[in-house]
Amino acid sequence: MSPEMATRLIDDLGALLLVTMLIILASGQLFRAIYAVAAQAVFLGIAGAVLAAATGNVDLWVIAGITIVIKAVALPWLLIWVVKRIQMCREIEPVIPISVTLAFAAAIVMLSFHLSASLGPVRQAVTGNALPVGIALTLLGVLVMASRKKALTQMVGLFASENGIFFVAMAVSQGMPLIIEIGVILDVVLGALVMGIMVLRVRSTVDTDIADLETLKG
Amino acid sequence: MTSSLLWIAPLVPTAIGLCMLLVRNPRLLGVLDVGGSTVVLGLALAIASQVDAAGPVSAAGILRADELSVVFLVLVGLLAVATSVATVGWMRQELAQGEMRADRLRYYYALVHGFIATMLVTVLADNLGVLWIAMEGTTITSAVLVGFHGHKHGLEAAWKYIIVTTIGISFGLFGTVLVYGAATHAQGGVQAGAMNWSTIVALSHSLDPGIVRIGFIFVMVGYGTKAGLAPVHMWLPDAHSQAPTPVSALLSGALIKCALLGILRFHTIARGACGPAFSEGLLLLFGLISVVVATPFILVQHDLKRLLGYHSVEHVGIIALGLGFGGRIGVFGALLHVINHGVTKALTFLIAGDAINRYGTRDMRKMRGYLGLAPWGGTLLLMGAFSLAGAPPFSIFISELMVLRAGIGAGHYVAVAIFLVMMIVIFAGLIHHVGQVAFGVADQTADRGREARWPLLGMLLLAVVMVLLGVCMPAGIDRVLTRATEIVLG
Amino acid sequence: MKVAAHIAVALAQAGLLVLLGPLVTGFVQKLKARLQCRQGADLWQPYRDLWKLLRKGTVQSDTASPFFQVVPVLALAATVVSATMMPVLWAPTDIVPVPLGDAILLLALLALARFVTAIGAFDAGGAFGGMGASREMTVGLLVEPALMMVVFSIAVVGGTTDLGDIAARRSTLAALSWQAPDLLALFALLVLIPAEAGRIPVDNPDTHLELTMLHEGMLLEHSGPGLACLALATHTRQLIVINLVAALFLPVGMAHGMSPVELAVALAAFAAKTLVLATFLGVVESSYAKLRFFRVPQFLGLGLLCAFLSLALRIL
Repeated sequence: MSPEMATRLIDDLGALLLVTMLIILASGQLFRAIYAVAAQAVFLGIAGAVLAAATGNVDLWVIAGITIVIKAVALPWLLIWVVKRIQMCREIEPVIPISVTLAFAAAIVMLSFHLSASLGPVRQAVTGNALPVGIALTLLGVLVMASRKKALTQMVGLFASENGIFFVAMAVSQGMPLIIEIGVILDVVLGALVMGIMVLRVRSTVDTDIADLETLKG
Repeated sequence: MTSSLLWIAPLVPTAIGLCMLLVRNPRLLGVLDVGGSTVVLGLALAIASQVDAAGPVSAAGILRADELSVVFLVLVGLLAVATSVATVGWMRQELAQGEMRADRLRYYYALVHGFIATMLVTVLADNLGVLWIAMEGTTITSAVLVGFHGHKHGLEAAWKYIIVTTIGISFGLFGTVLVYGAATHAQGGVQAGAMNWSTIVALSHSLDPGIVRIGFIFVMVGYGTKAGLAPVHMWLPDAHSQAPTPVSALLSGALIKCALLGILRFHTIARGACGPAFSEGLLLLFGLISVVVATPFILVQHDLKRLLGYHSVEHVGIIALGLGFGGRIGVFGALLHVINHGVTKALTFLIAGDAINRYGTRDMRKMRGYLGLAPWGGTLLLMGAFSLAGAPPFSIFISELMVLRAGIGAGHYVAVAIFLVMMIVIFAGLIHHVGQVAFGVADQTADRGREARWPLLGMLLLAVVMVLLGVCMPAGIDRVLTRATEIVLG
Repeated sequence: MKVAAHIAVALAQAGLLVLLGPLVTGFVQKLKARLQCRQGADLWQPYRDLWKLLRKGTVQSDTASPFFQVVPVLALAATVVSATMMPVLWAPTDIVPVPLGDAILLLALLALARFVTAIGAFDAGGAFGGMGASREMTVGLLVEPALMMVVFSIAVVGGTTDLGDIAARRSTLAALSWQAPDLLALFALLVLIPAEAGRIPVDNPDTHLELTMLHEGMLLEHSGPGLACLALATHTRQLIVINLVAALFLPVGMAHGMSPVELAVALAAFAAKTLVLATFLGVVESSYAKLRFFRVPQFLGLGLLCAFLSLALRIL
């Protein structure tokens, strides 16, 4: 695959990642957000495969595969399992109105592209638009976490945020070393498991959403 | 030989932690705990003396010990020993009170050792990716420990802790990726060790300043979250106050320092790439915000452990201020403060745990006459409080003085003035709070039992270091700190 | 080519859109019925409805002014004229002598039709008319700027706002030449077309329940031939929007010359694209519930945001 082709495909996948991110931001239902974050991970995996084909780096194939298995299948499955287990209300309760969130999102995406455009020749170290898209996804993930109350939506935001980082990590000069990527994914999985267990424990002991607890103040 | 020590250091607590999972006998678990920690301290000191004698040691381009990491390594080792010795007595009490179930004991110990192992990797990592992985590892292990009791408050604190620091640390990963991209770009392709701190620092002058600047901001926010720098410190008072006492001591004493080491590593890179003004300015800003934000919370606090938590925010701010003021004195003072605060804060947390146990409450308004109940503990509490507030002859006085001196030397008069005012206010607030707890007449309901030997032993160990560093500076520590300062300043 | 010929072609294309508009509505309704396991009315039902309405007399509210009678004609006229802007079968590659095909004009005319209908609804003095009008304008407020941004985002590449020109240029490129902003713009448009076509999840064309009506609320006071005009305008508008997607994003198969083969291919392509997008509308309509009205800005906000980003990415 030619580098130009790879750049174009990465740009397109970046746009799809942004679209899925915006769907997560705009969605009023938890399941839709979970499916969107899963779709995002699928696009991320495809991006990994594209970069692998373009650079001929075998490690990236492995990373793409792991990404799809872990981030597109296992983690969303975990989220859905927890949701079904605690039988919570599936409507998302935004802390700030979703339309305001969307306005913030527009500003964040613009800022990311502006930031990346301000860089010099070093931009070539990252394929295509991966850098601004990655920055935008990371910040938008935080926006999701900040604007939602439910524990599981916060986890969705976290995963989306991490997807942005992975996107850049793949597109940065042939990707990070394989061993590091695997370590990072391992941490992500362990962290998700611990979070899931905490959500379940709080639900089973005090029957509220863990993110709703507000006893510690001052 | 030495390079294999680097591997052994984190492997020992890992192996011990795994062994603990098979042990059910509480006494044996305690022995393993103290023994393991002692071995860790021994290894840390062995590595330190090697580095002191023969310079930095590298292991397979993944781990590396230089004078900078040795400072943090020995601190982690020391606190591991002190807390594990204190845990012996603490755990007996917990079991007696039914706070801890005997069958879950082994998980607690195993997690603590896993926590220590990840901290050791953090301080020894040369590869910035490994640094990140270990840092996230500390979050996962310690988050479970924070919520270990399964109380509502503990779980709430643990959730806040894991979710805030995980997202924060993701920013750190982003910054790492950006710096890595800059490094490979500067090298003209991926070369061996392109992710290693030692490699990147060596070529830091040829890195693109724009991308390193963005990267450093991400790292500063990311690892800054983990270090408890305001305004991203929201989780810290909760987690540090709700965790089991020995874990609080480790979190406040050692863990936030490990995150600071992460910032220091990138600070060094950013100094080379964008000049000192940028990253020092950012550190100064975060440091000042932390000191200012922590002050009112310290004044109005009634929860003893939360008080100490906010105090950690303030002291991390002071360390960041020292680094931000820059210069040899500032960095030296900041590094010295890392040790001083680590030791003192661990000590005060251990005492606070004992006090809370005796009174059955965390509310300082209901604690009176601690000095009468526990003469040793009360004395140590007063010493620790005076030390934390920055009174001579304790060690923190020295390092705060150096930070101030660096600020004046660098001409940051406004920052120094704000810093001084906050110091005075905090001094008054802290002494007021602790004075109330220490003096007066204790309630009838308070536990008047004799002081347990083991926790006292752990506290005394820390107190000795605290006083010693205040009155004299051993030549070895001075040498290591001087060289560490040189590493930071490039 | 001559100016007269151009105008003739434009009129022919507009005629095609007007004639086929009801058929598309019929198709969507049939598809919807089938997805709900109903038999449903046959494809030609909208034509029969129009025919029936045209033969009926007119009943008018006492409070309505004479302007009320003109409203349906004006709305239909604006819609039909906007249809002439749309490249349906034929996209000329040479310079066009008349500005027939300007996207801004097209959107303005569609907005004009909406505005006139809303004014008419107020004029009749009915409560539902006013409510429907205010709601419809709220939706329009979100949809129209978004459509503009989508069109601009595409126009920036083509260097022209002439839809025929854009279609002609893009049809020479491979489908893979889509850039990131194109994907965002397409997604925005897919969010927006149900709103612009007055369909679920924004509006429900089948209901006359007071709380859920948007567009239908405005038509409530009309009757007879006037209602027929407005219904025809609605059918045409839907097909125009469908065609806008096709012209901006999938202008493959359009004729550049006048040979019968080319025109046959173009007709087939037009039919296929319309079928796909009409199916999309039908499937969306059957698989989603109508949103509560205060949730609509949220939904359309997504489209607005995507359109905005598409334009922003193109310029940055």
